[in-house]
Amino acid sequence: MKLDTSGFETSMPTIGFGSSNDMLDGFSTVPSFDLPRTTDFDGFQKEAVQMVKPARGTTTLAFIFKEGVMVAADSRASMGGYISSQSVKKIIEINPYMLGTMAGGAADCQFWHRNLGIKCRLHELANKRRISVSGASKLLANMLYSYRGMGLSVGTMIAGWDETGPGLYYVDNEGGRLKGDRFSVGSGSPYAYGVLDSGYKFDMSVEEASELARRSIYHATFRDGASGGVASVYHVGPNGWKKLSGDDVGELHYHYYPVPPAIAEQVMEEAAAE
Amino acid sequence: MSIFEYNGSAVVAMVGKNCFAIASDRRLGVQLQTIATDFQRISKIHDRVFIALSGLATDVQTLYQRLVFRHKLYQLREERDMKPETFASLVSAILYEKRFGPYLCQPVIAGLGEDDKPFICTMDSIGAKELAKDFVVSGTASESLYGACEAMYKPDMEAEELFETISQALLSSVDRDCLSGWGGHVYVVTPTEIKERILKGRMD
Repeated sequence: MKLDTSGFETSMPTIGFGSSNDMLDGFSTVPSFDLPRTTDFDGFQKEAVQMVKPARGTTTLAFIFKEGVMVAADSRASMGGYISSQSVKKIIEINPYMLGTMAGGAADCQFWHRNLGIKCRLHELANKRRISVSGASKLLANMLYSYRGMGLSVGTMIAGWDETGPGLYYVDNEGGRLKGDRFSVGSGSPYAYGVLDSGYKFDMSVEEASELARRSIYHATFRDGASGGVASVYHVGPNGWKKLSGDDVGELHYHYYPVPPAIAEQVMEEAAAE
Repeated sequence: MSIFEYNGSAVVAMVGKNCFAIASDRRLGVQLQTIATDFQRISKIHDRVFIALSGLATDVQTLYQRLVFRHKLYQLREERDMKPETFASLVSAILYEKRFGPYLCQPVIAGLGEDDKPFICTMDSIGAKELAKDFVVSGTASESLYGACEAMYKPDMEAEELFETISQALLSSVDRDCLSGWGGHVYVVTPTEIKERILKGRMD
């Protein structure tokens, strides 16, 4: 079974008479993924899919408002119950005016976003203008569709600003692509949606929107075991994206819900002892 | 995730100089969702014996109720409190009674015995006692706890230093576990007083 690798085809023709030329390997040959050598390919496939399946432990969200797109995410990577990292970058900078969020398999998301960045740049060079958010998300969705059923785990949002204004698309490993104003992806998304939906207004300032995004991520990290670490908030405006804040969620909790210091009792005890 | 990881828990007990400390996290969850952040995992049997149970929350509560009942019966018959070693044997026997349909929890028992000598032990879910001279751990964060305790433990610590050590070990271990944390609960018990403290931890 030959995988569809047309997504990788470069426009440069292979040089040489078909025999491999060591010097040019890696430059002009069409890269393709090797298939595993196993007698039970379906069983192996099933195992591979199951291995990645529980991995959407994260909370990411993005929403469009008056001033552009707000994108936020947590930073925890978990392997079952174990926290493997509290400092993962889940908001991927595809290019200076487009962001992608990572949910699902980290390797899958990182690879495919970088691949998307390459394709966007090639589009710019070939067409002398930036690619639209709609076009970029379609490229990604089509690439993922061709690997449907092979066990990729990618739940991403592509957020950017192009000629038509702010754009937000949700793309996943099933090949689905949805245009929308508000999305949240990951195991913590129900909690984030609760806060996001109740606080959302289209007419918000950048500060209000970033506070809403930060709060939504914080609440998701509180309730969801697989989300935590640092709540990063990015804003995508007409001049591109800008990172607004990266607050440690542990500290945010006590910022939102400070513990009242029990000073009064201590003072009274000391007086009684004397 | 296994049934022991359904609710999530972290429990640790440490021995000091004529005192002991027992600590647990405060999270009650249903797999990844956090339901409560004030779940009681450590229970007092009497002034000198504490038990902390990790594992399935329903069995934690039921087993605790059964053990309190058995201890009260013992008090009526013997007109005295149980020694920690005796209590540990009782817990072991009760767990083994259910050998082919066990309580899905792992207890950690800590107490002050004769001459105020601290006693700690842990058990698996069917009652295999494991005595230790320094520290015992249990729960979903147990591997991290082993590492943290091994690194931070010193023998013959006084009550205040023991409190600091056990708190740091607990908090740093649960910060590496998705299923436990959200605060901490520490009891430091000396022959003269029981000090109960709540720890401010990361709430994620």
